[in-house]
Amino acid sequence: MPQRSVVEAPNPFREGLRIKESLEPCVMVIFGATGDLTHRKLLPALYNLALEHPLPAGFSVVAFARRPYTDESFRQQALESINQYSRQKPVNPQVWESFASGIHYLQSNFHDPEGYTKLNQLLNKLDQERGTSGNRIFYLSTPPSQYPDIIQNLGAAGLNRNRKGWTRIIVEKPFGHDLATARELNRQIAKVFKEDQIYRIDHYLGKETVQNILVFRLANGIFEPVWNRRYVDHVQITVAENLGLEGRAGYYEESGAIRDMIQNHMLQLLTLVAMEPPIAFDGNSVRDEKVKVLHALQPLVGREVQNNTIRAQYGPGWVGGKQVPGYLQEDGVSPTSSTETYVAIKTFIDNWRWAGVPFYLRTGKHLPKRVSEIAIQFKQPPLMLFKDHDTQGQVEPNVLTLRIQPDEGISLKFGAKVPGTDMQIRSVNMDFFYGSSFVREQPEAYERLLLDAMHGDSTLFTRRDEVEAAWAFVQNILDEWGAAPRDTIHSYESGSWGPQAADEFIWRDGRRWRRP
Amino acid sequence: MKGVGMVMDNSAAPGMQLPWAGKQVSPEHVEVELSTLWRLAADNMRISQNMNVRTSVLNFVICAQDEKTARKASAVLRDLASTHIARVTLLILDTRSDGPSEVSTWITLRSFPIISDIMRHHFEQVTATVGGKAIQYVDNIVQSLLKPDLPVYLWWLNDLPEDHDIFHRLIKLSSRVIIDSSHFTQPEEQISAASAILQQAPQCALSDLTWGRVTAWRELIAQFFDIPEYRPYLMAVDTISIEHIVATSSQALDHHSSQKNPIRALLLAAWLKTRLGWKLSEDESDNSRDPVTGTYSWHMSERDMNKVVTQPLSAITSGEQKTSAPLGGIRISVQPRELVKSAPGTLCLVRMVCTVEGKQAIFTIERGDDDDHVLTSVEVPGSPRPPRTVSIAATHKESDLLHNELEIMGRDRLYEQMLHEVFALLAE
Repeated sequence: MPQRSVVEAPNPFREGLRIKESLEPCVMVIFGATGDLTHRKLLPALYNLALEHPLPAGFSVVAFARRPYTDESFRQQALESINQYSRQKPVNPQVWESFASGIHYLQSNFHDPEGYTKLNQLLNKLDQERGTSGNRIFYLSTPPSQYPDIIQNLGAAGLNRNRKGWTRIIVEKPFGHDLATARELNRQIAKVFKEDQIYRIDHYLGKETVQNILVFRLANGIFEPVWNRRYVDHVQITVAENLGLEGRAGYYEESGAIRDMIQNHMLQLLTLVAMEPPIAFDGNSVRDEKVKVLHALQPLVGREVQNNTIRAQYGPGWVGGKQVPGYLQEDGVSPTSSTETYVAIKTFIDNWRWAGVPFYLRTGKHLPKRVSEIAIQFKQPPLMLFKDHDTQGQVEPNVLTLRIQPDEGISLKFGAKVPGTDMQIRSVNMDFFYGSSFVREQPEAYERLLLDAMHGDSTLFTRRDEVEAAWAFVQNILDEWGAAPRDTIHSYESGSWGPQAADEFIWRDGRRWRRP
Repeated sequence: MKGVGMVMDNSAAPGMQLPWAGKQVSPEHVEVELSTLWRLAADNMRISQNMNVRTSVLNFVICAQDEKTARKASAVLRDLASTHIARVTLLILDTRSDGPSEVSTWITLRSFPIISDIMRHHFEQVTATVGGKAIQYVDNIVQSLLKPDLPVYLWWLNDLPEDHDIFHRLIKLSSRVIIDSSHFTQPEEQISAASAILQQAPQCALSDLTWGRVTAWRELIAQFFDIPEYRPYLMAVDTISIEHIVATSSQALDHHSSQKNPIRALLLAAWLKTRLGWKLSEDESDNSRDPVTGTYSWHMSERDMNKVVTQPLSAITSGEQKTSAPLGGIRISVQPRELVKSAPGTLCLVRMVCTVEGKQAIFTIERGDDDDHVLTSVEVPGSPRPPRTVSIAATHKESDLLHNELEIMGRDRLYEQMLHEVFALLAE
């Protein structure tokens, strides 16, 4: 047999191909494989990767869960899920047959060491039969309460590393319930896995439009010179949902909007907008810059929390043409719950680029529509030549809007002269729509992220210090809210853009919320 | 998705009638008449409340030899809604010696729904027939019809012209020329001509839709050797067999089509040869070719160690690094395979046989039950691997291939290199 000393050389056939890095066959072990995430997102994403064949031959899936399935019955259920949720349907029978032959089911409790012994045996067998060469990804798709058991058992079974290939672990959000539990979870994982083996997933970072924030900022020369306190008046980041609890009252009562959205997705968006250009586009360089932003966030302490945050719960109302109950009337919600369904936060980034520029973050459930966007509002010209009475209205400031969903794209609002003899100025939008410029179907966020994890590229995953820095910012707010009386929680009608207090909160600064 | 021309008013005009090309206007009024169409389109938008997107990234010049081919190309455009075309200039060259010396132009706005009918995407199309002596000045005629300050992509349909001067004139104003060697009636001669043209026009990039058809096969070959365990076998490849489909004699007669076109197989052979750092044997008796059947065979004499990624096992174990290594008995062959219901030129087999310490390892990609699927398999001593079925359907649609080429801004150096390699292989 050829000696292994030559195997480190790059693959000469990769030059000139779209995927330039070699992707070695591996096994993905999904813990909690019978759950919703696996069937709605993970299996369809893996099938799409197999269909468009960046997945290598030999790629295998081990579904690890408690329910009694066989390989065949699980494959059948996987097929139904893919047919329902994949962006490429119906399933191509020939490709499915090849893909399905690599799916195996292992029934076990997560705390049972015997299950991990069987897992080890199965992985070794797959290495032999399918050439997966000891390369493994463990995907934690269970409730977070199961993470410690799984991690500990993986370590005890010696599955955290092996001599033949690489081992990585993907951890789903929520990553901890607060700063203390996030630190504890990090500590537990670090006892078993090294940091470069850990991929903390936030699917928002896999969205094309989120990735485009960096491209937009750093691949174009015209925006960076104005991307700072000299030109930017303020930034608004909005993640609005029109849905309510959707049967997830148990989870939501424990998390609330700040844990569900602000601590992860919205602070990620904020870091991408505010970070300095990295020295290179690789995992650690990008994340170094993001962590700097999180460390530079002005901590909100004591009364600052009261002055700079608004929390609220939705009341009854109408959303999407349907009458909906208030949060406290929802099934599974305590009538005295203090869980917030809406949060607005004003924060500052204490660095040279952003000092004095407010960043307004707001998120909520049962808002009028589902929309995520980042709006950068620029300062007015230093001298307004065109007075209001001349222009028949106020000249509006320029706003650059990065729309994450729906209608992904970018628009720039600027003033233009209305044709005619008088000097009338009206704001117009210059729009770039992803949907019309790139008609090609966008890959699902999970496809990109799973592929990156297989490649060992951690750029779009969060690092330990990043998670903890985000929690540190949020923890101050949680502590203060916890100590505040319940009547500091505002209420808003379902289907509105939030409580009156949130409008007053931004009006105090002489600004107003956008209507996305 | 069906597209519609916004203006179908084809006023009566002498000479050629092209109702599908829109409104006939005199060449000097093209810009003014197009502006009028845009104003009408804006009015339509106000009435219908559709969102209209006017794209503006490139000039797309299509050059056809006859109306039938031009009309077919025009139909392909409806699948290029996402390509940001600002203006299509569809040239129909009337190369008949007795044809009239004249230029006629038609204009229309092409409008296609994007995702739903709510949002529509528009670009301009100018169709021009050029005949007689006017053909000699075709580049100047095209210049006057281009949108300013945008790159020009030229899609040359069918064979390269015998009169290369026309082609050269158009190349000079183009940023990229797109050909499709799968449609060449004399593939070997024409691909050699393309190689020569490229050398004479270094400012212009060259694309070949046929190279796009080979990409999926390259990707799958690369995947074999993404596995580090298999990479050393690269240094032990001793036979590469490539098969391409040729039409049966009766098929060729039925469809008046070319019976064989080995260009895909030749491009793949050239790519494998260069990636493995092989040099062709200079002994002519080692190499054979039969253009009639589409059968070729080449022997390799030497491996250029600067072009390969690793040293042979023997050199590594002895600690001796070399700049070249002699090869013996290494062969690449291209074979035709007759198959009904499959397009001539389609690849149907690539097999790489490696011999290490007397044992054979075989890496194979073979056509599946239809042209849309291939079966990949690896036979390594003591290490059986399950075969895999892969879909390659995405490489069959002409508009998809064209779309990919229109998205490339720079030169495709690898393709250009392969073109020269094919030329060299055919020269043997």
